Amino acid sequence: MRRISFGVALALAVLVAVGVAAAFAPWLVPDATAQDLMTGITGPGPGHPLGTDDLGRDVLQLLVAGARTAVPGALAVAAGSMLIGNLAGLAAGYHGGWVDALAMRWADLMFSLPALLVAIVVAGVLGGGYGLAIAVLVVLFAPGDTRVVRGAVLEQRHRPYVEAALLKNLSSWRIMTRHIWPNIAPVSLASAFLNFAYALVSLSSLSFLGLGVPAGSPDWGRTLADNRTQLLANPWAVIAPGLAVIATAAALNVVGDWLHERVERRGRAH
Amino acid sequence: MNGWARFALRRLAGTAAVVLLLSIGVFGLLYLAPGSVQQTLLGTRPATPATIAAIQARYHLNDPVAVQYLRWLGGVLRGDLGTSIRTGAAVSGMLGERLPLTLALTGYGTLLAALAGIPLGVLGALRRGRATDRLVVTAGVVGLSAPPFAVGLLLLVVFALGLGWFPVYGTGEGLADQVWHLTLPAAALAVGAVGLLVRFTRAALVRELEQDYVVFARARGLRAPLVLRYALRNSLVPVLTAAGLIVTGTLAGTVLVEVTFALPGLGSLLVDSVTFKDVPVVQALALLLTLLVAAVNLLVDVGYSLVDPRVRLGGAA
Amino acid sequence: MIRVDGLTVRQPATGRTLLSGVSFEAGPGESVAIVGESGSGKSLTVRALLGLLPSGLEAGGEVHVAGRRVDDDPRALRRMRGGTVSLLMQDPFTLLNPLRRAGRQIADGLPRGADAAAEVPRLLAEVGLPADVAGRYPFQLSGGMRQRVGLAAALAAAPRVLVADEPTTALDATTQREVLALIRRVQRERDMTFLLITHDLRLAFSMCERVIVMYAGRVMEMAGAAELRREQRHPYTRALLAAEPPADRRLAVIPSVPGSVPAHDAVAGGCGFADRCAYATPECRAGVPELRAEPGSGRLSACVRAAGLPAAPPPPPGVTAPARPAAEPVLTVRDLRKTYPGGARPALGGVGLTVAPGEIVAVVGESGSGKTTLARCVTGLERPDSGSITLGGLDCSDYAAMDRRAVRLARRTAQMIFQDPYSTLNPARTVGATLKEALAADGRPQDVGALLELVGLDPALARLRPANLSGGQRQRVAIARAVAGEPALLVCDEPVSALDVSVQAQILTLLAGLRERLSMGMLFITHDLAVVRQLADRLYVLRAGECVESGAVDAVLDAPAHPYTRELLASVPDGTGGWPH
Repeated sequence: MRRISFGVALALAVLVAVGVAAAFAPWLVPDATAQDLMTGITGPGPGHPLGTDDLGRDVLQLLVAGARTAVPGALAVAAGSMLIGNLAGLAAGYHGGWVDALAMRWADLMFSLPALLVAIVVAGVLGGGYGLAIAVLVVLFAPGDTRVVRGAVLEQRHRPYVEAALLKNLSSWRIMTRHIWPNIAPVSLASAFLNFAYALVSLSSLSFLGLGVPAGSPDWGRTLADNRTQLLANPWAVIAPGLAVIATAAALNVVGDWLHERVERRGRAH
Repeated sequence: MNGWARFALRRLAGTAAVVLLLSIGVFGLLYLAPGSVQQTLLGTRPATPATIAAIQARYHLNDPVAVQYLRWLGGVLRGDLGTSIRTGAAVSGMLGERLPLTLALTGYGTLLAALAGIPLGVLGALRRGRATDRLVVTAGVVGLSAPPFAVGLLLLVVFALGLGWFPVYGTGEGLADQVWHLTLPAAALAVGAVGLLVRFTRAALVRELEQDYVVFARARGLRAPLVLRYALRNSLVPVLTAAGLIVTGTLAGTVLVEVTFALPGLGSLLVDSVTFKDVPVVQALALLLTLLVAAVNLLVDVGYSLVDPRVRLGGAA
Repeated sequence: MIRVDGLTVRQPATGRTLLSGVSFEAGPGESVAIVGESGSGKSLTVRALLGLLPSGLEAGGEVHVAGRRVDDDPRALRRMRGGTVSLLMQDPFTLLNPLRRAGRQIADGLPRGADAAAEVPRLLAEVGLPADVAGRYPFQLSGGMRQRVGLAAALAAAPRVLVADEPTTALDATTQREVLALIRRVQRERDMTFLLITHDLRLAFSMCERVIVMYAGRVMEMAGAAELRREQRHPYTRALLAAEPPADRRLAVIPSVPGSVPAHDAVAGGCGFADRCAYATPECRAGVPELRAEPGSGRLSACVRAAGLPAAPPPPPGVTAPARPAAEPVLTVRDLRKTYPGGARPALGGVGLTVAPGEIVAVVGESGSGKTTLARCVTGLERPDSGSITLGGLDCSDYAAMDRRAVRLARRTAQMIFQDPYSTLNPARTVGATLKEALAADGRPQDVGALLELVGLDPALARLRPANLSGGQRQRVAIARAVAGEPALLVCDEPVSALDVSVQAQILTLLAGLRERLSMGMLFITHDLAVVRQLADRLYVLRAGECVESGAVDAVLDAPAHPYTRELLASVPDGTGGWPH
């Protein structure tokens, strides 16, 4: 086991902090959305390390509460597209033929569309909430995972160990799940982390545009949008949620890259 | 029929199919949307039978969806994109007004991204494992992780409000001033693309520098710049692949940047039209953006065949 | 021209040392071979010499090139590359820049001011290529042509030293012989110092005047080629030579060395070969033996018993293959044809053969001969276009058309082992899980320990994953998996070609033993006539999908009837200075 680098350790620490905030926000900051219109927007000061927004809400508390909105949705997108991608990718890569052709045409179509724009159009037109935005992103991200998994399956498919399993008359299902899949799961996991990051950015972009979460909810993108006209009064109300999105997504990307490198190193080292 | 013509025809057919599918999708979506167009148009006016009938007649709302779609399609093929429900203006005119700004913004942003991303990626690969490389990789990851709206606002806070080097809002007058006004938005747009380019360029060049042909070139005494040229040329192929991703990413990014900086481009038009369910405008925008993406992908494919003789001469790898 | 003194290569990140104490020299015009198995450090030695170590590795010790010390002066070494010392690498398929025409790549290496229009065709002619090759891209050339272009490029700046790192290992036997002959001709004509890296001791004897034998990152023995061929003063050299089977006679036993090549650091405290050596004494493990000159001759040996070693036994005489009683064949193939989609010519153009129970039948050919396609058709991994395959009385011409029961029967009749020991086992599963599954699939009791012992492995290995096994151990596990259900036929696709010579002999011995114990027929696919001679009863020679000659092994190899068979035979290095001709 190699020592992990400082950057990866830092990224893991950020993820743990964000995870704790997301899991325990209702207990950590029960009054995050309590408004105090008398105070209104103020800069950092005693009692409010990052100041307040124009509804008098504490920016730091909003930040913690925002994790609870931002993280589960993005996690759902990453997990959902990983699930679909694994099933479709295994089927396409292993069986080939029309299953493969269909899956790949679908992926080509989805790839020729800018994911975020489609999400904007669909979520905007259907006036849908957060759930719809997540569903749309799953549909748009899954082709990427499908391609990654399919590529990995094709790479494994003609290796002698798979052919030897075939010659032992094992069922396709057993070969796919017990032989091939364990060897591609790390690739798929690494890609899920990258998707997680991209989903986080995309969802916060949607809420920034006013699509997704309702106005006033504690969400990083939303808080940022709500306060952007107040840049002069309390820039931290805009900077802090922006940095929160960037730091979380960067941490996810770093962990994803690290997993990816580990897979590649293992592949090279035999 | 020679290879080029067949290639071009296949690509055209593919693009046409995508555009067709997409326009059906958008039309279906708008039909499914809660709150009918007539409600939107009525707004707060009293819904008398007479006004409803007038609206329905004007927008052919009583026709079956398929007929409405075909009417729209027929119009598009004749060059008529219809009129906006929201403003009543011709859609083509609205697009024409806003297209230059969006094109300028994406062009400027892509240029900034290429000027920063490719050299940084090359630098990282050449200084692999050292402090410079770690800095480049970190910058790339942060760029990739940063949503354009957050970057835009941070840039505004620092460079416009804090330092006062750039204007806060507006598009400016005259070329120099316009470029001046567009610099912060373009930079916000470029950050994500820089991250992508740094990653692709660095990874590709690192891989190429480890190849046998590079070792062989060094072993037989070729000068360092020539060896680097060997490796750079070979790493162009994966970087070209990134170009397609960058353009789709940048087009999506313009929406956020235009909203953030309050610029009157196609992106902000899309957001307004979508929330208003302005069918003809959304349809036309979807059409235009798809064509832009398809055109870029076509250019990327042509680029492949220029770079790689194996593609051009049809040889096996 | 070249002097290396106390060369070491280390990996600072892990603290590992990969080779140490390597010293040798090569005079002007002299040809020196560095011979070793994988992990011996032979390639790292020349990479360090040229200042081209992969990133993460660090060299120590002194290197002098053309009378100048260069190990502490990378810039001087860089200026010397090309004009003074040049390198030809192993794999012709990765050696050239894929995006640049051959001629321009050669021209890139010409000295400043040279006239490319005149020099490039001249260099191409020198390596036996027509001038129009200059205008082609590497992907438009065959492997042998690419290696010739590589040689022309390496020669462009007229080096005084040519280093060739396994220059023909990736090529077919007949092409290998041509390219080696070319390299030697060019070397003599230009009077270059020549450093050849190879794993093949006989090839080294034929190509070079002096031979350096390396093992586990150290030099074991160094002597003139003719002397070393006559007598080896290190047990490792003896073992290496003995393990390379001859093609001209069948040995009663293939001498094999137990174990596998250790890492440099694993044997840092003593002689690297001690654990596998029949002559080892406690003194061998007490400290690293020095490379000592033998009084009265120029040869050096790192064996503490070099002077007292018993004389090497004379080469064992050949024996005739035992006759096999005629029996109903377990495999009958008739007129098998197969063309791959997009293939210019058939991979198999009507091939027929039989294998009797307990009989080993070799199929010999170069790449593109269709030998692997044949093996894959027999086991149902490929579907033939036409022709018939009968396995144990069952028609297996088309696996897709057979019912489940018939397929299961066919799978239990014929099993297969593959070439690459690194991908033949599932990296995610333990040896025990792999074998247990195989036994279950073949309906056998799940006694993994007994199965491991059958292939000569310690039952304790069952808990390990493939990454912790050596190449030879992996191939043994793969054999165990294949024979778990005691199949009547074992199809072997080049099972030893990716293994070190000393390990190859072990696997061949194992296969020969299993054939007797399980009276299993074998279809043995190989390119190596020496292996065929040792193991097989009958052989078929395939060329471009057609069988050109077949018969009993001794009869065909002693008196080949077809010119192609003769050509293949002539391509086997015989260790004399007359080869390659």
